[in-house]
Amino acid sequence: MSVEETEETPEIEAGVTVEDEVLDTLGDTVQTTEEHLNADASVVVRPDQVQDTLSALRDDMGYDHLSCVTAQEYEDRYESIYHMKQYDDPTQEVSVVVPASKDEPISQSAEPVFRTADWHEREAYDLVGINYEDHPDPRRILLPETWQGHPLGQDYDQDSPQIVTLSEWDNPLRDDHVDDEADTMFLNIGPHHPATHGVLHVKTVLDGETVADVDPDIGYLHRCEEQMCQNGTYRHQIMPYPDRWDYVSAGILNEWAYARAAEDLADIEVPEYAQVIRTMSAELCRIAAHMLALGTFALDVFGDFTATFQYAFRDREVIQNILEDLTGQRMMFNYFRLGGVAWDLPEPREEFFEKTRDFLEELPAKLEEYHDLITGNEIFQLRCVDTGILEPEVAKSYGATGPVARASGIDYDLRRDDPYGYYDELDWDVVTEDGCDNFSRVIVRMQEVEESAKIIEQCVDLLEEWPEDDRTIQSNVPRTLKPDADAETYRAVEAAKGELGIYIRSDGTDKPGRFKIRSPCFSNLQTLGEMSEGEYIPDLIASLGSLDIVLGEVDR
Amino acid sequence: MATEQLLPETIRTAVGLPDTVLGQGIAAFVGAFLVGSVMLAYTGVAGPWAKRKITAAFTDRIAANRIGPFGLGTIPADALRLLSKELIIPEDVDRPAYDLGPLIVAGSALLGFAVIPMGGLGPLNIQLADPESGLVYVFAVASIATLGLTMAGYASSNKYSMLGALRAIAQNVAYEIPLVLTGASVVLFTQSLQMSEIVAVQQETLVTIAGVSIPSWFAFVNPFAFALFMIANLAEVGRNPFDIPEAPTEIVAGYQTEYSSVYFVLIYLGEFLHIFLGGAIIATLFLGGAAGPGPESIGFLWFTAKIWGVFLFTQWARSAVPRVRIDQLIEIGWKGMLVLSFANLLLTALLVGVIA
Repeated sequence: MSVEETEETPEIEAGVTVEDEVLDTLGDTVQTTEEHLNADASVVVRPDQVQDTLSALRDDMGYDHLSCVTAQEYEDRYESIYHMKQYDDPTQEVSVVVPASKDEPISQSAEPVFRTADWHEREAYDLVGINYEDHPDPRRILLPETWQGHPLGQDYDQDSPQIVTLSEWDNPLRDDHVDDEADTMFLNIGPHHPATHGVLHVKTVLDGETVADVDPDIGYLHRCEEQMCQNGTYRHQIMPYPDRWDYVSAGILNEWAYARAAEDLADIEVPEYAQVIRTMSAELCRIAAHMLALGTFALDVFGDFTATFQYAFRDREVIQNILEDLTGQRMMFNYFRLGGVAWDLPEPREEFFEKTRDFLEELPAKLEEYHDLITGNEIFQLRCVDTGILEPEVAKSYGATGPVARASGIDYDLRRDDPYGYYDELDWDVVTEDGCDNFSRVIVRMQEVEESAKIIEQCVDLLEEWPEDDRTIQSNVPRTLKPDADAETYRAVEAAKGELGIYIRSDGTDKPGRFKIRSPCFSNLQTLGEMSEGEYIPDLIASLGSLDIVLGEVDR
Repeated sequence: MATEQLLPETIRTAVGLPDTVLGQGIAAFVGAFLVGSVMLAYTGVAGPWAKRKITAAFTDRIAANRIGPFGLGTIPADALRLLSKELIIPEDVDRPAYDLGPLIVAGSALLGFAVIPMGGLGPLNIQLADPESGLVYVFAVASIATLGLTMAGYASSNKYSMLGALRAIAQNVAYEIPLVLTGASVVLFTQSLQMSEIVAVQQETLVTIAGVSIPSWFAFVNPFAFALFMIANLAEVGRNPFDIPEAPTEIVAGYQTEYSSVYFVLIYLGEFLHIFLGGAIIATLFLGGAAGPGPESIGFLWFTAKIWGVFLFTQWARSAVPRVRIDQLIEIGWKGMLVLSFANLLLTALLVGVIA
């Protein structure tokens, strides 16, 4: 195999498509190619050539972002799809499809090439049942180790009893955690702990106060979101679910992820007016989510009952009121529809605009206050600067996105790089910081709030002047959507926490054949070990807080 | 003031008990009972009510307002609630250390009030005892609390408790020394460890500016020592930025993780008593004890205002200041506070030597 020696430049010459380039780079590794709605190339490779293929794509063609790993079972085979992008240009997408045999679903692990594959493949094993060779840690991830069957597999029997008691499979208090020889101490942080931001269990090994090893144990909030989406019809029954992924007022951003994927799949246009409303409401959600991130991070570093936390919640409340006026809901908005939004701005419009403008006017003074209270505080700086370091290369390997990646200097924001909605018509900037530490992640979020405010202001301007006879909020969408069988797409949006992607494969019915959620928190949380090993417990807590995870989205 | 009758003596003569060991003992017991009750009452107000109201004011909330005027009725309701909760004692705890810990934490703080001159209230002079080594005694009993915390943390058979106990020891050792050294710099001025004497020295006028005479409280004489003492005291009572031993977001609740019901109340009571004792020491050493405008017979009110002022300060710090990390805490303690307090002691010694 000559893959390693191939020296291709990622530039595309005239007349040569990306697919040709990819085929050229990969040589005989590729068995066939497939159709994929938005990937430039979709190649099928043998299950024992995953690592070669991915490293060739990464090293020779610059596909350095393993965005999503989707596993699924067909009548005749299993399939793992590695969806790859470039951090520099996420519109450059390649899907690597790895079929595995039905009798012996074994596929090579991609973990040695991309660290993020670790958790993604564990999930694929857990839910679908593909075994990954060479995987360093082949355990289940969302379900308990004693679970019978693989829930997204075809022969899974939902009615078979699952008898799983904690003490039977993994009693965290059992005695063999105590190693008499070692100087280290095993400590369960969570699932019930004040700083885990939900039900997260971090198995920690301490050397004194220093963190020697962390192993996040997730899945406590697994609600079968993917399966529920597979059981709902495209048109109406899926949209309420995204609000429940990242449930801390970032719902509209999540809804957009589904809307974008489904509209791409079913080829639905969205009226411009609706796009502006979508953009505005999504950015309102982003501010609300970042406020919460800021407030809870302050809790982690300051302690409980601090002024900052309450201030952040007070200001978030204003946004919630605006969103409630717009959508009728405070958290579970269910506001987007395929092809637009549910309804127009509330009447009287002037009142809504005024309320929004009031909020935007007060925002700079409030942010100033936060800077005085938080980022300007010397003790805070002492705590956060140069702790929880996440180097850019490491962040990329783990597929980190969103503020976490941007605080490590990775200039990656899908709103600009893979434009959707109305973002490319508006004037705003992507915020990056080079600090790679907890402090930078806070700063990035606070500055993003300012940028979001800029976007909202421009949207309000546009909406105010929008001609009355051109306010179409939804395009004509058939009552029943049945995309072509085997049409597949992977689409992502920039949610509050980063790249929230949806993979949908249609099976020709009005319900998705496979619905996969690529959660930004899932990938970001994987970096926790890199950030906190060798640092103190308080830094571990601060790093966890700075990742701003929502377990609803991690576990889905 | 030093010549004034102490509280037990006043009680003994008022009731007409004989001047025997038994009579003195009974009078002392009654006096201690009264002073202890007042302090516990302060704690009762501070814990369920004042703390909530103060933090709420800092954090833009309303807090307790359902029962009685200003929500004051929440105090008996909360007391009843806390005391009637189930006392859960985990299986593997090391008794009786587990049971004694909370008692020592609360008790040691109460002992300290024995020598604090709390000023006059009407005809009474509220001070239980005035030994010549008063200041040494008060520092000594205040640090017994560390023993209680250690017992509580170690006996709880919980890793978070143990981390909390270890942190508490490290913190108390690191900050007790600057605290005592800074206290010693005051003693250099007063030439006495007797509490009433320390207060008496501060009654003289320092300077008179535009007709307003400023007393020679040591907070004015040596503001540097005052600042040092306030900071060390924050660490001593474990409030932000030094609430490391509890650090709820890091180690759940530290040494008190496994305590519930009455034991929990005792530990909390001890913490608040310690804040008030810290306030009492600060008032005595730096703020002229019970001195203030008006007749001496309302001195106790001034004293109360001062210790509540210190309490307010701790709550303010708690609401607004981030927590430092354990290694930073130790570093600040040994490399910063200790050096500064030695410098303060030396400079004060020089100054006193030159003047005297």
